[in-house]
Amino acid sequence: MKKIQIAALVLLAVLAIAFCTLEAGPLLHLKSGMMGLLSPISRSGDAVKSSLGNLGKDLMTLDQLQAEYNRAVAENRRLRAENNGLRDLQRENDHLREVLGYRERSSFRLVPATVIGHDSGAWWSTVKINKGSRDGITPDMPVITDKGLLGKTTAVSAGLSEILLVTDENCKVAAKVEGTREQGICAGARSPGGELHLTFLSKLADLQPGQKVYTAGVSGGIFPSGIALGTVKSFRARELDGEAVLEPAADPGSVEEVFVVTGAK
Amino acid sequence: MNRVLLFLILGVLLPVSMALQELLPPIPPFRERLQLLPVVFAFGVLAFPLLPALWLALLAALVQGLAVLQISDGQAEIGLTLPVVFFLGWAIVLQMASEATRGMRWELHAVGSALVTLTLLAGQFLVLCVKRGGFPVDAAVLCGIAVPSVAALLLAPLLYLVLGVLVPLAVKEENPNGPSQGPAF
Repeated sequence: MKKIQIAALVLLAVLAIAFCTLEAGPLLHLKSGMMGLLSPISRSGDAVKSSLGNLGKDLMTLDQLQAEYNRAVAENRRLRAENNGLRDLQRENDHLREVLGYRERSSFRLVPATVIGHDSGAWWSTVKINKGSRDGITPDMPVITDKGLLGKTTAVSAGLSEILLVTDENCKVAAKVEGTREQGICAGARSPGGELHLTFLSKLADLQPGQKVYTAGVSGGIFPSGIALGTVKSFRARELDGEAVLEPAADPGSVEEVFVVTGAK
Repeated sequence: MNRVLLFLILGVLLPVSMALQELLPPIPPFRERLQLLPVVFAFGVLAFPLLPALWLALLAALVQGLAVLQISDGQAEIGLTLPVVFFLGWAIVLQMASEATRGMRWELHAVGSALVTLTLLAGQFLVLCVKRGGFPVDAAVLCGIAVPSVAALLLAPLLYLVLGVLVPLAVKEENPNGPSQGPAF
């Protein structure tokens, strides 16, 4: 073995040991650094994906129109396609107005952001958004949508942030049930199934499907009080406590526009 | 093209594959996500001799470990130790398998990619079970391990075909009169 190979092997071993001994703080900084390095790929990839998605939608609409009106005159077809295009714009406009209205009504200081990537790991529920420390975002800030709580920020780089979703087993939220004095801890499951589990309820709680669950806002916690978490789907009394299964208020699978709560107004 | 350039290409491809994983839609109808990094990693460690393969494994461990890093109660759930041991271990195993089968083969890459993906996902699940408690194995968990592994098995020959053209060029330049160690189809 040559000297240079021995040196490379020793350097590899030293680096491997150095990485293995890193604590949580430096690891989080390294992760933020990596997110910063990869953010141009994530951003441009998301832009390409959006363009391709819109192209697909337009083609599909035209295909549908052609199939449905294949015997209609050319002028009629053109007008219908144009009309359909305008409806898409109107839908988008209505949605953005709704989102903007929520931002103005809200009593929090909100930073609007767009989801640009989903976590590829199998056991964690996270998404990435296109805003970061440049926009005043720091780790452990609540993230909401116009429907309810989505999660909290974890790793933050200059232009990207990672959100740990409420559907993750590790995102635990103090919660209260509408119309009762019941309080519990809400979290997701290990295998991401999209449901929330509200535990540490009284065994006699007897919650009914459809009851709303909100954040309890405990002192020193991250999440403010009164943000919608979900709706009760079922309840069962366990040996020591009661557990309710909830349908999340904000569907993490389809969410696109989110707001990071940076403080109170 | 020489080995250094190929190493750089694969070194860049590792984090890029991780970024692409997050952009690609889930596999219908299972809604599980593709794992591209193990496929690139398996190709890299088969294409190089042991020492560069170990360096590539360290880079793969860094990228994978940081990508799934979550801090819980001030502690990293899965730090970098397990990814480093995992990828270095697999680099050595794949090198030995490559020597045993006399060179780089697409079958070996496909099977290696699937096994790396399977053990990576199963290993992560086991570590989480140990750290968080409980062992909730159900159909969703098995699907979460099996589907990306099968997807890696099917995807690997495609990547082998694309990247495989670079390997003989690199080997030929380093050893023009020697036997070809390039990819075999």
